[in-house]
Amino acid sequence: MSGKEHKILIANRGEIAVRIIRACRKLGLDFVCVYTAPDAESGHARAAAEAGPEKRLYRVSSYHDANELLAVADAAGATAVHPGYGFFAEDYRFARRVKQRGRSLDFIGPSWEVIRALGDKINTKRLARSLGVPTVPGSDKPIYDEMEAEKFARTIYEFQLQQGIEHPVVLVKASAGGGGMGIEEVDDMDLFRSVFRRIRNYASRQFKDEGVLIEQRIRDFNHLEVQILAERGAGQIVHFGTRNCSIQSTGLQKRLEVAPGFDPSAVRYRFDAAKLLAEITEHSLALAREVRYDNIGTWEWIVSRDGTPFLMEVNTRIQVENGVSAAVSSIRGKDGTDLIAEQIRTALGEPLGYTQDDIRFDGVGIEYRIIAEDPDRNFTPWVGRIERFSVPERDRLSVHTHVPYNRPYDIPTEFDPNLALAIIRGATLEEAAARGREFLDALVLEGKSPSGDPLVSNVAFLRRMTEHILMF
Amino acid sequence: METEKQLQRLNERLTYMREIFADKDNEHIRRLEAATADYASRAPDLGARERRDALLSLEEDFASVEQALDASLTPMDKVRIVRHPQRFCLRDILENVYDGYTEIGSMDEHSIDPAMVIARGYITRRHGKRVTNQSVMIVGHEKGHGEEFRNGGSAKPWGNAKALHYMKVAETENIPVHAYVFTPGSYPIEDTPGAAQQIAANIYGMASLRVPLIAVISEGGSGGAEAVALADRRLMFSHGYYSVISPEGAAAIEGKPDPGGRVSPALVEQCAGRMKITAEDNLRMGYVDQIIREPDLGARPYHYDFFRSLRQELLRVTDEVSISVRGLPLFRALRLRSRRKRAARGLDFETSYVRWNLPPSAQVLLVNRRHRKFRDLSLHAVRDLTPLSRRIGDIRREVGWIVYSRFRHDMLQKRRQKVSEYVEEVKSEWTLFFERALAPLHKLVALFGRASERLSVETVRELTELSEWNDNQEQRGRRWAYAGAGAGEDRAVSCPNSGIHGCLDQWAPDLYGEFAGVCPNCGHHFPMEYQWYLHNVFDEGSIVEFAEDVEAGNPLDMEGFSAKLAASRQKTGRKSACMVFEARIKDVRLITAMLTADFRGGTVGAAEGEKFIRAAERAERMRFPFFAYVHGTAGIRIQEGTNGLIQMPRCTMAVRRYIDAGGLYIVCYDTKSYAGPVASFLGCSPYQFGIRSADVGFAGPAVIVETTGLPVPPHYHNVYKALARGHIQGIWDRRELRFNLSRALLTMGGRNLYYR
Repeated sequence: MSGKEHKILIANRGEIAVRIIRACRKLGLDFVCVYTAPDAESGHARAAAEAGPEKRLYRVSSYHDANELLAVADAAGATAVHPGYGFFAEDYRFARRVKQRGRSLDFIGPSWEVIRALGDKINTKRLARSLGVPTVPGSDKPIYDEMEAEKFARTIYEFQLQQGIEHPVVLVKASAGGGGMGIEEVDDMDLFRSVFRRIRNYASRQFKDEGVLIEQRIRDFNHLEVQILAERGAGQIVHFGTRNCSIQSTGLQKRLEVAPGFDPSAVRYRFDAAKLLAEITEHSLALAREVRYDNIGTWEWIVSRDGTPFLMEVNTRIQVENGVSAAVSSIRGKDGTDLIAEQIRTALGEPLGYTQDDIRFDGVGIEYRIIAEDPDRNFTPWVGRIERFSVPERDRLSVHTHVPYNRPYDIPTEFDPNLALAIIRGATLEEAAARGREFLDALVLEGKSPSGDPLVSNVAFLRRMTEHILMF
Repeated sequence: METEKQLQRLNERLTYMREIFADKDNEHIRRLEAATADYASRAPDLGARERRDALLSLEEDFASVEQALDASLTPMDKVRIVRHPQRFCLRDILENVYDGYTEIGSMDEHSIDPAMVIARGYITRRHGKRVTNQSVMIVGHEKGHGEEFRNGGSAKPWGNAKALHYMKVAETENIPVHAYVFTPGSYPIEDTPGAAQQIAANIYGMASLRVPLIAVISEGGSGGAEAVALADRRLMFSHGYYSVISPEGAAAIEGKPDPGGRVSPALVEQCAGRMKITAEDNLRMGYVDQIIREPDLGARPYHYDFFRSLRQELLRVTDEVSISVRGLPLFRALRLRSRRKRAARGLDFETSYVRWNLPPSAQVLLVNRRHRKFRDLSLHAVRDLTPLSRRIGDIRREVGWIVYSRFRHDMLQKRRQKVSEYVEEVKSEWTLFFERALAPLHKLVALFGRASERLSVETVRELTELSEWNDNQEQRGRRWAYAGAGAGEDRAVSCPNSGIHGCLDQWAPDLYGEFAGVCPNCGHHFPMEYQWYLHNVFDEGSIVEFAEDVEAGNPLDMEGFSAKLAASRQKTGRKSACMVFEARIKDVRLITAMLTADFRGGTVGAAEGEKFIRAAERAERMRFPFFAYVHGTAGIRIQEGTNGLIQMPRCTMAVRRYIDAGGLYIVCYDTKSYAGPVASFLGCSPYQFGIRSADVGFAGPAVIVETTGLPVPPHYHNVYKALARGHIQGIWDRRELRFNLSRALLTMGGRNLYYR
């Protein structure tokens, strides 16, 4: 690519590693994978081992040790690192180290300055407010003084009372946190100080940053995302539409995602949904331009029942669910958009090559995350061996999985228990939902736990939730 | 029988001579040996008279030889005299100098610390027909003629604590203290109350003890001596030594022997000489006031004349201290002068009675005198190269501030405070009145409209719009004004705790940059250079250094040391190990004294002590908080000998004055802090904090093994251990130092702070 022979170190595992391998192949790029001992049988390790006679697979003791990953990069002669999601994906220090070390590598993701600017909730919020992008009512600077914090929290509490909210709740969250970590709710102001102290200590211990935000808790909302892609140098910044990720586990982990974010042609909303989607897209682009965003990223929004949007945070990485956005979009009339390939291509310096006008959206996409867990019992993960696994083959359906179809598979316990991702496309919401249900019915997933109990999964939950998608 | 005894005594004298000259071949001694042997063989055959004559002539020989040898004593010979089991000890003084005494808290080995003896003694004086028993509190080290349980007079921390306790009892009883120093040094053990911390407490306590303090030094070894030797008059026995470190210790540092290997005796001799440890040296430098003459080759228990003269000297000196602060100033001087004249004519102090208890006004004067006395010591060892214009500028600046701050903070603020207090009071009365009066109306309003629940525009704006925020002041989180020097290298750094906590290697630019040298996994603090603190703790650009031209010198003209100092100056660009400056933390002004490990290991000599004292005094005058940041100190600079050692009491007294005036003195230890400074002006602070992963203690592990023979457990001096033992008051994360200090400045300390 662009004259230089690139080789990508895939510093991740499982499903995302498999997808990155596929994207590399599509782009004609060489790659190298890492794996840990429990992952020896995982799909990405097999794919790397089977890719050719050259050594493309290195064993490491942990995916978390940057020193080891970079040692592999040097040994294998890699020229770029793809962090996937999780692990080092949003670690601006890793991105900076990769770039600034003696043997510099390309980081496949936004430049480290951008990751740093948007990795901090306080900074993101201040950037947003400076551009008039709506954010959750609450603080936009770190408050260290307990008395000041409590005074502020009381203001938020009363603010909610005045709005007619019966049981106001104040959120205390670590500025550097994410994914539901370092957040606590307070509904009794007498408890505020102790919660504040706890979160602050947690934040300084966990994230080395004492910054704490105090916000109103928005209830009854939908979780929307805007998919952004930008080339290096932030010349062209485009979006790939919106997604709705409101269906989540009790631990606020996404389970079912739909693109687009709302569908006014099929569902009646209390607000002008089309206008709202346009608004949050425009706000997201504005912020992206402001920080000179230069790779793939997701702007997370929450939308309250009355149609008020609030920008929550920006994920400066590829996500699990970007495939569903890709499924409903086409570039210059060509289907089969591959956002990971686009991410790699642009991260290595290639220009985007098209504009927003070349991107079209068509139909509705649904993504299911199939997981061995028990939705009736707080989504407790199920551990055991998968004995039978097969998915139906359908048109406009793609399944990503690292679980083998032809032999039993022990679910590793130390990682995210995602077994498969299925993306289904329909011309309309109704058609997509119908195809989704049909897919779930045809799916075979059986197994036994060490004590002989049958496998428990979230398939029935996903089927039930399919009835409600995009409703608000 | 008689002959046997006398022979034995002579043989003991011979042994003594041989031992103090360390078996150096000596013709005189050989001659005496021959004569003694000859006498021993002849004696049985001699008649009684002849025997006595022979003995007398032999004793004359002994005396003349002793006299001859005394003139040739080297400093190291004196060290051997002082350590010899035949030398007189505290018990001999108690029995021969005082008319009676009661040991307090000890009976031979039955004592909390047999190396430290406390006794309540009295001296009987007859004047006219009246007989008066004058009480004194006697505090001193007991070597006990080689009794092993006495530990050679090396006092343990609790022994020093007992000494301080009874000096305070003396204060309560208003009787003078006689302190006897017979110690090679303090026993280096950290157990509560801690060697260093207790010595610091002793010095701090003695600094302003309101009774006459008289110290007499026989063996004055370092911090152990300072723990009891701070006094209004310091006497010294002619054959004693007073030194910052034992000659062996100095030689070990100078000669750098291989581990386990010994340094050569020649080097030890040489060090003893160069360190200027004798009574004459210390008298010349001003660290003792007077020398008490001992018999040739040093006093032993049978030198009764010596004890008599010691008693006379003690009476004279104790009287003098009392007289010099009692009564009207004019009368005082006259009385002192006439007394000195009479003493020169042979006044017998046994019959001239002077009261030793002091009225309150005399007590104040006594303490002030003591402070002034120590303030003036060691000035000759300091080189102040500050140009005159700078000095004048400094004074002008200081006076300007004092005038301004008096006006701004005292007059205005107090007046404003009064007015606002009054206004508030009126307001609250008024509100109360209105609330009562309008209560029915409020109820009515509440019934009708929900007017009060309308959102105030102000609140909405506060909660949803961009707020003002200036984070330059905070410097918390990861935005450091200065990154460590290690941040420039592309390498991974291993945490020493990785074996225990599984810490991953950190990339140096992250570790020394954003992480501020702190392992993100276990919190281990890697050492950072002092510049990091200068930039990240104090307000940007607020540091104004002063006294930077006070230069560390080589007052004892140690061979090769001037070159070493020059090398240090070259390396660090500083003239001493102590940097004193005025700065701000979140706009609160303060004075900081910093000891930097880069310059001669952060050791404290006369220059460093002088700068520290000037800083404390300036803080007092300007009513600033005073912060001592110890970036590392290895102790007192041994190459300066007692010029360095005397900084322990000098600086501690300055701190005492500052604290008593109502200031705020905070100490913060980083990296490694040991020995003298910790055992005095640092350890006496009520607010001592350790930076995580720092070590604080009295003697380093090698010295402990060397002197006690005990193994040192791992992390023995770690700040967590120090905190558990009660030596320090808290442990601070480097990244929070600025914040913690800022909070401390606003909430701690006394009344003499300009912003209070």
